[in-house]
Amino acid sequence: MSAAILPPPGVNAAAAMPDILPPVKPKKGFIGFLRRNPTIAIGGFLVLSMVFVAVFAPFLFTKDPTALAPVMRTREPSAQWWFGTDMLGRDVYSRVLYGTRVSLTVGFSVAILASLAGLTIGLISGFIRVADSIIMRVMDGMMSIPPILLAIALMALTRGSVGNVILAITIAEIPRVSRLVRGVVLSLREQPYVDAAVASGTRTPMIILRHILPNTLAPLTVQATYICASAMITEAILSFIGAGTPPIIPSWGNIMAEGRALWQVKPYIVFFPAVFLSITVLAVNLLGDGLRDALDPRMAKRL
Amino acid sequence: MFAYVVRRVLATIPVMAVVALFVFSLLYIAPGDPAAVIAGDQATPADIERIRASLGLDRPYLVRFGAWVWDIMRGDLGTSIFTNLPVSTMIAQRIEPTLSLMVVTLLLAVSVAVPMGVVAAWRQGTVIDRAVMGFAVLGFSVPVFVVGYVLAYVFALELDWLPVQGYTPFSRGFGPWIENLILPAIALGTVYIALIARITRATMLEVLQQDYIRTAKAKGVGQRAILFLHALKNAAVPIVTVIGIGIALLIGGAVVTESVFAIPGLGRLTVDAILRRDYPVIQGVVLLFSFVYVLVNLVIDLLYTLFDPRIRY
Repeated sequence: MSAAILPPPGVNAAAAMPDILPPVKPKKGFIGFLRRNPTIAIGGFLVLSMVFVAVFAPFLFTKDPTALAPVMRTREPSAQWWFGTDMLGRDVYSRVLYGTRVSLTVGFSVAILASLAGLTIGLISGFIRVADSIIMRVMDGMMSIPPILLAIALMALTRGSVGNVILAITIAEIPRVSRLVRGVVLSLREQPYVDAAVASGTRTPMIILRHILPNTLAPLTVQATYICASAMITEAILSFIGAGTPPIIPSWGNIMAEGRALWQVKPYIVFFPAVFLSITVLAVNLLGDGLRDALDPRMAKRL
Repeated sequence: MFAYVVRRVLATIPVMAVVALFVFSLLYIAPGDPAAVIAGDQATPADIERIRASLGLDRPYLVRFGAWVWDIMRGDLGTSIFTNLPVSTMIAQRIEPTLSLMVVTLLLAVSVAVPMGVVAAWRQGTVIDRAVMGFAVLGFSVPVFVVGYVLAYVFALELDWLPVQGYTPFSRGFGPWIENLILPAIALGTVYIALIARITRATMLEVLQQDYIRTAKAKGVGQRAILFLHALKNAAVPIVTVIGIGIALLIGGAVVTESVFAIPGLGRLTVDAILRRDYPVIQGVVLLFSFVYVLVNLVIDLLYTLFDPRIRY
């Protein structure tokens, strides 16, 4: 009837032509992954450095962070006192290094606890219709209370301790995680493979375990890093205004709170913990941004 | 339209009820005995009992909650344990500096962040875009009091351009008032600017790919008109939403900023109340700020219908 459909010109010619661009071979393995995601590499390196500082604080040329030496008070930074001394003669360098422990403990603990609690609440909310409307109304209400104020109110009612700080910040962070998990669960439930699993008689616990849970892990991990960063800032703020860790513990917020009275004449007492806090939070945020881009490439271009 | 407004207004009532219930229940959620914690370490058992009675912890939960809600509806937020003044009076005395700080910060942040986001989206991938995105990451990472101290050190102590600390009431004139607010507003606004700029850029990138933008270009509309009239108008809803949600950041940050710059506002009141363990004051401030936050977001929701006539619920 008609002429045979001819292949578009070029198809035959292409085979004869040498590859102009050699196929891109992505580097394999961990190093390749870090190459492709420089923010993860930088953020991860900085976070690991801070973990190193926290773990080995006693061996990094520090003195006792709580040792008082009134004769040596408010010395400028020098070879003997790298970051100077505070108004009670304590070594600021040692205090800042030991402060890493408090910040990282609070940040990591809040990230893990809030993720677990949020995951549980989000899964319940996404699967049990009756519970959903009640849980989400409660979460709406909790989200209407600015997180720092909620943490302040909780801290005003409890004795200052690292455990209570972790608990207060975790409670303030739970609604956001629950919301996120619930959203992911609801969208996953519409996926054809979940329908297929339901149709073939898979029980709900198995569906959650095999199909829902693995798919919530990526967004949850990203969210956890952001929570870790914001928890470290909140802890510092709480300690700074006197509602956080007890003053005897050298946390960055406490060091800054003590240096506050003198900051116009001795700015270094506030400066060093501020730099450490900012770098640590920046590192965790970079790690989060990198993970987000690596785990969800569609988002990489947008944000 | 009218029905939507009514429904949306009514929908805030359950949210506010949950906020009230939650703020009230904090006394019961907190581990340990709040009365003993508030009374302090040197308190006698009689002191603790007195505080327990003044907090109403000796009465049944629901009875106490009912009475408390009734009081709030009449504008009674309780009585300070420390000064014995009504909490509402103490808040009224301190509200002007905080309100000033937040309004100035809001205006500053929006007028800086939105153009930043628009330009970053327009020049995607260039040095300008990278600078804006870099600033956004930094803005999220450097805590508000660190920004505050650096600004105060550089611009007040070293350069002596602006006052270091303090607050001048608006009634003493605009000049002295704004002079004292510039540095705190920049410090408080940094996170907020980062957040708004980021969302503005992301939304603008999406809108700029739409067909009507290409049409506008094709018929010769100028670059500025495309960006700010065609694109920004269609990107308004997410941007305005994040401006509303970000108010929570402003409220939390105001407490700290006021401490750094010695501004006698609600944040300062809260910090003093923490040190004196004056729980009714803290509860009153938390409740007030939460209600303000809910109401601001209600107004924003209602504004959507003005920005975007396509929205009909």
